[in-house]
Amino acid sequence: MSDIVARFRLDRSGFQLDVDLVLPGRGVTAFFGTSGSGKTTLLRCIAGLERAPEGLLSVLGEVWQDQSTWLAPYRRPLGYVFQEASLFAHLSVMGNLQYGVKRTKSGQLTHFEHIVDLLGIAHLLQRQPQGLSGGERQRVAIARALLINPKILLMDEPLAALDVQRKQDIFPYLERLRDELAIPVLYVSHDHHEVARLADHLVVMEAGQVISNRPMSVAMAQPDQRFQRDEDIGAIIDGQVGAIDMPWHLARMDFPGGGLWMRDHDLPVGKKVRLLILARDVSLARHPPEQSSIQNSLQGHITAILDDTHPGLALVQVRVGTSLLLARLTKRAATALGLQMGESIWVQVKSVALI
Amino acid sequence: MKFIRLLLLGCALLFSLAVHAETMTIAAAADLKFAMDDLIHNFKSTHPNDEIKVVYGSSGNFTTQITQGAPYDVFFSADIGFPRKLAQMKMTASPVIPYAMGRIVLWSATRNASKMSLSSLTDPSITRIAIANPKHAPYGQRAEEALRSAGLWDKVEPKLVYGENIAQTAQFVQTGNAQVGIIALSLAVNPQLASQGGYWLIPDSLHSPMEQAYVITSHGAENPLAHQFVAYMNSTPARAIMTQYGFVLPSVATTK
Amino acid sequence: MMFLSDGDLQSLVLSLELAGSVTAILLLIGTPIAWWLAHSRAWWKVLVSVTVAMPLVLPPSVLGFYLLIAMGPQGPLGMLTHTLGIAPLPFSFAGLLVASVLYALPFMVQPLQNAFEALGDRPLEVAATLRASPLDAFFTVVLPLTWPAFLTAITLSFAHTVGEFGVVLMIGGNLPGITRVASLQIFDHVEALEYAEANHLALMLLLFSFLVLLLVYARQPARRQDGVS
Repeated sequence: MSDIVARFRLDRSGFQLDVDLVLPGRGVTAFFGTSGSGKTTLLRCIAGLERAPEGLLSVLGEVWQDQSTWLAPYRRPLGYVFQEASLFAHLSVMGNLQYGVKRTKSGQLTHFEHIVDLLGIAHLLQRQPQGLSGGERQRVAIARALLINPKILLMDEPLAALDVQRKQDIFPYLERLRDELAIPVLYVSHDHHEVARLADHLVVMEAGQVISNRPMSVAMAQPDQRFQRDEDIGAIIDGQVGAIDMPWHLARMDFPGGGLWMRDHDLPVGKKVRLLILARDVSLARHPPEQSSIQNSLQGHITAILDDTHPGLALVQVRVGTSLLLARLTKRAATALGLQMGESIWVQVKSVALI
Repeated sequence: MKFIRLLLLGCALLFSLAVHAETMTIAAAADLKFAMDDLIHNFKSTHPNDEIKVVYGSSGNFTTQITQGAPYDVFFSADIGFPRKLAQMKMTASPVIPYAMGRIVLWSATRNASKMSLSSLTDPSITRIAIANPKHAPYGQRAEEALRSAGLWDKVEPKLVYGENIAQTAQFVQTGNAQVGIIALSLAVNPQLASQGGYWLIPDSLHSPMEQAYVITSHGAENPLAHQFVAYMNSTPARAIMTQYGFVLPSVATTK
Repeated sequence: MMFLSDGDLQSLVLSLELAGSVTAILLLIGTPIAWWLAHSRAWWKVLVSVTVAMPLVLPPSVLGFYLLIAMGPQGPLGMLTHTLGIAPLPFSFAGLLVASVLYALPFMVQPLQNAFEALGDRPLEVAATLRASPLDAFFTVVLPLTWPAFLTAITLSFAHTVGEFGVVLMIGGNLPGITRVASLQIFDHVEALEYAEANHLALMLLLFSFLVLLLVYARQPARRQDGVS
């Protein structure tokens, strides 16, 4: 009931969209794929900007489209952020922000300041869109979409039109959104790093079809060449800062399954973090290591042994608590250790990155 | 030798063509539309190589154009006043020659106008009556005079619509947009119009005489064809054609 | 107006009344047509485009002639007005309105169509995702972003109607106060050799046209942007 069910079939000359999806009703779901894979079209179908003749769409228990129902886009309680910021040129930033608010029944400005703060645009309110930088415009566009109290936020490559520096500027705002918003976000992107940083759930698309639809952690632990490059293969784990060792400048990141020590990033205890643990930085051992330079050791169970990109390599998937980690080792080492599915094993993590 | 003879013959032919092939442009009042076509056709039987162009329109407009140097050689006006004005301005190359007295008729394309009279125009089923614009069209002026003389002007005026010239007036009636019109007799007798409805001749006692006249313009002064055509207008065949189209010729009018 | 006669003044007022009414009607029917032309993907859209553009190339006599026939008692329009119990259209102000609306249609539709096409779908989609119904979005987004085109279309339609002569001549019947517009009045003055009167009225129209075109051309060049940034 609290999910998103989307089933669309759309025929365009030279392109066909054919999807049948159930998506989680919370968190950030990324639609990933190359251009032409149909991810933007799918998002437009969900918004009602594209009308698929055969379609079924229910969002958090409300039917927006089925055989007898068609909710016009302006009747769908959603927020939409386009690739280009698309601010109205004839209105000031304030005018743009208020445009949707005025048209929303529940439109009150109680959370106006909160959202304006969240996106850091308080100092821009009286400006005209033409005078803003690309990053500023996109932040205004996101605020404008959020101010109408949407039940779901759709974002179509909101960073694609920005240069690297602007992307870096705006990313913290997106992460704050992810952490603070209670509504589901559907996020279209063709950038693996964006997706790895933001998504809780991953839908990979190709030629108008869905080829994978899984939680992010599961998707990462079952590497897919279409999604990841070789050197990017690793596990993503959500956790929070559990403790700080001031004298040694270290911080412990806790996640369901244990804790990992890493360099202190001056984050407060309790702060949510997302960790990337590359497969090449993880090794396996039969026994708890003693006197090793590697301080992060965790016990888990082998859940899968997968082929890697090179015939001499294997990827071993290990469940630690409820999290999945990936270890890259040679097949010879795997055979020498006699690794078997379901076995208990010690995981040694050499390096952890915050993303 | 043979070749030279042929060459000479060719030159002679070309020369004779150059001598005889004259061109002329006539500006004619719209009431002459059908009559003038016949006149030219008849005239050309004796002048097969000459080219005659005719422009039909309103006499007032032609007068303006001629004063501005329009290339008309002969001007047939529906009202003698216009060529006289040109004569005063020294823009003519011949005397102003009357050629007919114009007559006006009631005509309808949808009713039998031959059974009508001017008083029929008050019939409520007649909602639109077309006349030429009395402000500048001679036939329109006579139509207004006739209606005033008959004491009908005030009753009929709200129904009037005005054509720019007598041809457009006829066109309003022919398309049925006006049930009745007051047009030139010369147009009403044309078989194409006479086959529809019918006409009733308005007594000429009801309006001032409509003396019609033509003149050779300054532009046509040196054009021999213009002078030949004017001479032809006095010939028996030309007079016969004019009479056939309902024009009352000056000599007849004076003997009356 | 010391040097204009009552008749001249009346014709001038009539011209302005006609042009004003035509422009108002065209705004109502031309805007949706322009909108449809800018957005439709129907194959027969090109036929509508051509039909709308026809008055640009057709001599007024063609339109005038067919309208006179169509509005006549045997014509389809004439039969329609008869059936509906409306007064016949020829020689009436309503008839002039119909003819002038047809004749000025491209001057309203084409500038608007170009503006709508240049604007694109995006501003409307943005408005829709911000809860604006299509009509709401038209008035609060499209109109503010395309008003220069509206100004151009209104000015051109108005001026073109004031400058119209041929069609009015052919179906108007030259009725003072009803169909005798200024351009016709000038023609009558010329035909009656009243050059001074013709000159006065013509001068008025000359000035009017100059000022109108000045308004169109001297305006700031239309903002070149997509409406969203």
